[in-house]
Amino acid sequence: MTIAAKDAPLIAVDDVHTYYGKSHILHGVTLHVGPGEVVGLLGRNGVGKSTTLKTIMGLVRPTEGSIQLDGAPITGMPPHKLARLGVGYVPEDRRIFRLLTVMENLRTGLDRQGVTDEKKQALLDKVFNYFPVLAERRSQAGGTLSGGEQQMLAIARAMMLEPKIILLDEPTEGLMPRMVSQISNIIDVLHKENVAILLVEQNVPLTLEASERVYIMEKGVVRHHAAARELKMNDAVIHQYLGV
Amino acid sequence: MELTAILYSIPWDQILIQTINGIVTGMILALIASGLTLIFGIMDVVNFAHGELFMLGAYIGVIVLATTGNFWLALLIATLVVALLGAAIQIVTLRPLLGRDPLTTILATFGVSLILQNYALWQFGPVARKIQEPFTGHFTLFYLEYPWYRLVIAGLSAAIIGGFWLFLKHGKYGIWIRATTQDRVMAQAMGIPVPWVHTAAFAIGAGMAAASGVLFGPLVGVNHTMGLDWVLKAFIVVVVGGMGNLGGSIAAAIFISLLEAYAAIWVSPAQAVIVSFIVLILTLLFRPTGLFVPTPK
Ligand SMILES: Nc1ncnc2c1ncn2[C@@H]1O[C@H](COP(=O)(O)OP(=O)(O)OP(=O)(O)O)[C@@H](O)[C@H]1O
Ligand SMILES: [Mg+2]
Repeated sequence: MTIAAKDAPLIAVDDVHTYYGKSHILHGVTLHVGPGEVVGLLGRNGVGKSTTLKTIMGLVRPTEGSIQLDGAPITGMPPHKLARLGVGYVPEDRRIFRLLTVMENLRTGLDRQGVTDEKKQALLDKVFNYFPVLAERRSQAGGTLSGGEQQMLAIARAMMLEPKIILLDEPTEGLMPRMVSQISNIIDVLHKENVAILLVEQNVPLTLEASERVYIMEKGVVRHHAAARELKMNDAVIHQYLGV
Repeated sequence: MELTAILYSIPWDQILIQTINGIVTGMILALIASGLTLIFGIMDVVNFAHGELFMLGAYIGVIVLATTGNFWLALLIATLVVALLGAAIQIVTLRPLLGRDPLTTILATFGVSLILQNYALWQFGPVARKIQEPFTGHFTLFYLEYPWYRLVIAGLSAAIIGGFWLFLKHGKYGIWIRATTQDRVMAQAMGIPVPWVHTAAFAIGAGMAAASGVLFGPLVGVNHTMGLDWVLKAFIVVVVGGMGNLGGSIAAAIFISLLEAYAAIWVSPAQAVIVSFIVLILTLLFRPTGLFVPTPK
């Protein structure tokens, strides 16, 4: 059962194998994300979802397989180049620069070549509009923010890169329901702005709601691939792979 | 009566002189240690070649001074040349070792230090050279004719450190350095060219070592082993200040230098050096994260 992306893929991961030292984690992952598309990546704990995102981001090098961005190979490219090419990364543990202020955290993605002052201000205005709390706390150290605020900052920081795609790893992990709905709102906003998202989540309903297509991983490979609306009507598949 | 007797017995004049001396050496030491702690903080590299960068700075100062006669030009050129050399050393020896066992970088920088030391011996010979201070004025401090130049060293070192501090606090590249120090991986994922930030940090540290070499050159002879004493003390300062903590290193440099200067009132300067080792041992025993760092929760 193959479901083609609408256009040529933005990100195409093809038969990727990744190791941590001697342990073989990804056993040939294949997936793609079209431009502006929100794609879910589900799977039980430890199946290699985060490793897949890290491999795309260049944080771990695959031993086999290829990754392409807009049709050009990016396998083994250093992460800072990928970020400049428009790949945003929001890791599972958020990784806010704890001693940098909120504003300085944002500036890590903003101080790029060719970004005019007006453009910078527009980007800041945009995220401060979505996340007013970040505007209030702009001079506060990142490490002093609450978990939910740190998650917002992590997403806002990735948005500073004007990314074509954001690799979003468990954004709602450990958040209160109110925060969860804020995160799902921002996913919708990004979607409307034509930013593609590869969304790793444990929250199945949210993922099915936000995504167009969903991949389900098991033990380092993609086992299932379906349109989100199909899965919504088919509990059996979700139950089989995720046990919920 | 008792109290007055005690107050009279304290050598106030010597204490004041030694306070000034302590601050002067403390500022030089802080300048050396700032670079060392910056390099350690950002790339987990203990730079055993730091003393040789200090020494090379002094030699380049000697050469430029001999050809141009201008001390300030010598200071500037030595700083820039050694910063460039530091960048080259980082690219060739440390960049390939990033993320490896710290032992490999220790061996690499130790190797570089031996090469630089022996190069200096071969190039300049064993006889110490002299850097003429830019001015020789004195002022009277009790029974001493105290050279103005020493105060200028302290002021200039403070200015360089202060400038570096501002550079770190404000502006794009300062944020890049701090972000990379805190989380190298995430810094890369935000598009910061981490390999080049490492090179730049090493170059800045090397340049600061060279500047201190030129500034301090007039007070001692310039020879190929002049880096050894200083780097040992700078290591102590970096540990006592909390590895990688810039403010802590600066405070520790001044603190230790003052203690040594006061100790030298009663014991010989050679024995006073023991003070820094005592501080080091006590720090390692009771506050291993650094004397001037709040205890981590
Ligand atoms: N740095 C590492 N070194 C060694 N093994 C690792 C490392 N990171 C992850 N692993 C292992 O790789 C496997 C996949 O990890 P990964 O983080 O990709 O899983 P995940 O699907 O994201 O799980 P979770 O839902 O718990 O976040 C796990 O067995 C994990 O223990
Ligand atoms: Mg994970």
